[in-house]
Amino acid sequence: MSRPILLNSCARAATAAEARFRIDRPIAPSRGTRVVALDRGAEAVVRDVAGHPWATARFFTCPPAAVLGRRDGDLADVALLGTDGTRSRLSDELDGADAAVMVATSDDGAGAARAIGDACTMRAIMTAGLVLAGGHAAGATVSALRPHARVLLVTYDENDVSEILTALRA
Amino acid sequence: MLRRELNELLTQTGPGTPMGELFRQYWIPALLAEELPEDDCAPVRVKILSERLIAFRDSHGRYGLMDEFCAHRGASLWFGRNEEGGLRCSYHGWKYDVTGQCVEVPSEPENSTFCANVKLTSYPLVRIGDILWTHLGDPARRPEPPEYEFIHVSPEQVYTSKRWQESNWLQALEGGIDSSHVTWLHSGALKSDPLFKGARGNQYNVNDLKPFFEVAEADGGLFVGARRNAEDGNYYWRITPWIMPSFTLVPPRGDHPVHGHFWVPIDDENCWVYTWDYHPTRPLTGAERSAMMAGFGVHSENIPGTYRPVQNKDNDYLMDREAQRRGEHYSGVKGIAIQDASLQESMGPVVDRTKERLVPADSGIIKARQKLRKAALALRDAGTTPPGVDPAHHRVRSAAVVLPREESFLEACADAVRATAGVPHATI
Ligand code: FES
Ligand SMILES: [Fe+2]
Repeated sequence: MSRPILLNSCARAATAAEARFRIDRPIAPSRGTRVVALDRGAEAVVRDVAGHPWATARFFTCPPAAVLGRRDGDLADVALLGTDGTRSRLSDELDGADAAVMVATSDDGAGAARAIGDACTMRAIMTAGLVLAGGHAAGATVSALRPHARVLLVTYDENDVSEILTALRA
Repeated sequence: MLRRELNELLTQTGPGTPMGELFRQYWIPALLAEELPEDDCAPVRVKILSERLIAFRDSHGRYGLMDEFCAHRGASLWFGRNEEGGLRCSYHGWKYDVTGQCVEVPSEPENSTFCANVKLTSYPLVRIGDILWTHLGDPARRPEPPEYEFIHVSPEQVYTSKRWQESNWLQALEGGIDSSHVTWLHSGALKSDPLFKGARGNQYNVNDLKPFFEVAEADGGLFVGARRNAEDGNYYWRITPWIMPSFTLVPPRGDHPVHGHFWVPIDDENCWVYTWDYHPTRPLTGAERSAMMAGFGVHSENIPGTYRPVQNKDNDYLMDREAQRRGEHYSGVKGIAIQDASLQESMGPVVDRTKERLVPADSGIIKARQKLRKAALALRDAGTTPPGVDPAHHRVRSAAVVLPREESFLEACADAVRATAGVPHATI
């Protein structure tokens, strides 16, 4: 085994004192998180979270009949309504995104979840599903999201949504 | 990413800190039973939750855990004599019983009542299984003793070890919840480790390197499910329970024993990693036990007479670049325990979580931190008893199962994740 000659060239450098020499630069926020409320119950939570300051995250709800039919061989697109009132399409919003976070309180949004999941898989964008189980059983919602979200979290506290986004530097 | 104040809140466990108070709600491991092997044996210095204590076993087999320093002038009782029902300070001969009560002050006249007013802070020390457990909190809130399955099976069914880790307890615990690192860091072990290899489930791990994760609430903490594709459109699920504050079980592999951990803060920059293997329904084989003692599986080979691993930060964990190139050890470091320790210690004694870049696959960690913070604050502000204190929460199991696609892992495994004595565990 080769012998380290300086303190920092061996594992012993993992001290609090040596931590001072770690490079300290501002960390870029994530490239873009798209947060989509899949159903009515989730809308209020997402609107509320959208009011906090975020780096690059954008927030949407799905208007009625949001899933736009698939043309032959094509993936379905989804009509989105930004929390600032602007209308857009999932296919455009996913440009430059690195994660899609779906928020659900019921299984109403299963169709939108599938369209979002498929679109993200095709573009290699990470998907996460947050199921807000406000007292009722979350089983059906979880099953609806399971195939379409790489990570699924069930939570009883709607504040978790904003905390998870903070943890992800959204 | 965690704000600086939150990082401090979660990592500081000394007396009077919110996380320190949280830990003081639970029965936690203080020592291995083997450290106090017989009556009147040598006392042992113990530091946990930033308190320096002395543990001893008196002439009548009673265990004591108390302030390390003599009430007289503060000499360490480690130099004391453990004899005739108490521990006597070597300096001026003051003697204490297992409750910390001073029972003799030789310089005082015969029949003096002086010593009745001298008592060292002491904590209960109770043997259950291979571990001596203590509770450092308010005796009025002391819960019933722990009921984790591994301490209640017969001694032939379990092997327990411990090792010193030179990092804060939380980054060690986070390694236990973060199932996504197993695919990388521990990939070599699936093929070669005697306590892992050969299970049918291992194929699913190898064939699907991008698991999906599901994090669900448990009464005592969380269940983290990792699912991979299995044959016929089914899913292979690995379910890891975390019971607060710091107990986890690794999902089983075939008929191998089940691995588990309990992380106990020594101070804010060090922790004990209690590690066990148990089989819920059969004795461990001789070969299994020898492999564990040799540091295979999740155990470590320690420097004889200590709980410091042979591979440690002073020798770069005996990094072997050739073994890394051959693909034997993914990181070049031998053994699952030291693979974890080496990386977790390399992060620094208390990792600066304001700098990290978490991704959605880290959701288990994000959730666990949230639960710890909420529990610590609810305890501080409202006296709320945290999850995991009730011994009923301890009776969980990990599981490894193949389920049809549409099944929810927690509903399908409701029985499998509950520990029931004598019932085989769900494993593949
Ligand atoms: S890849 Fe996770 S800490 Fe380095
Ligand atoms: Fe690990």
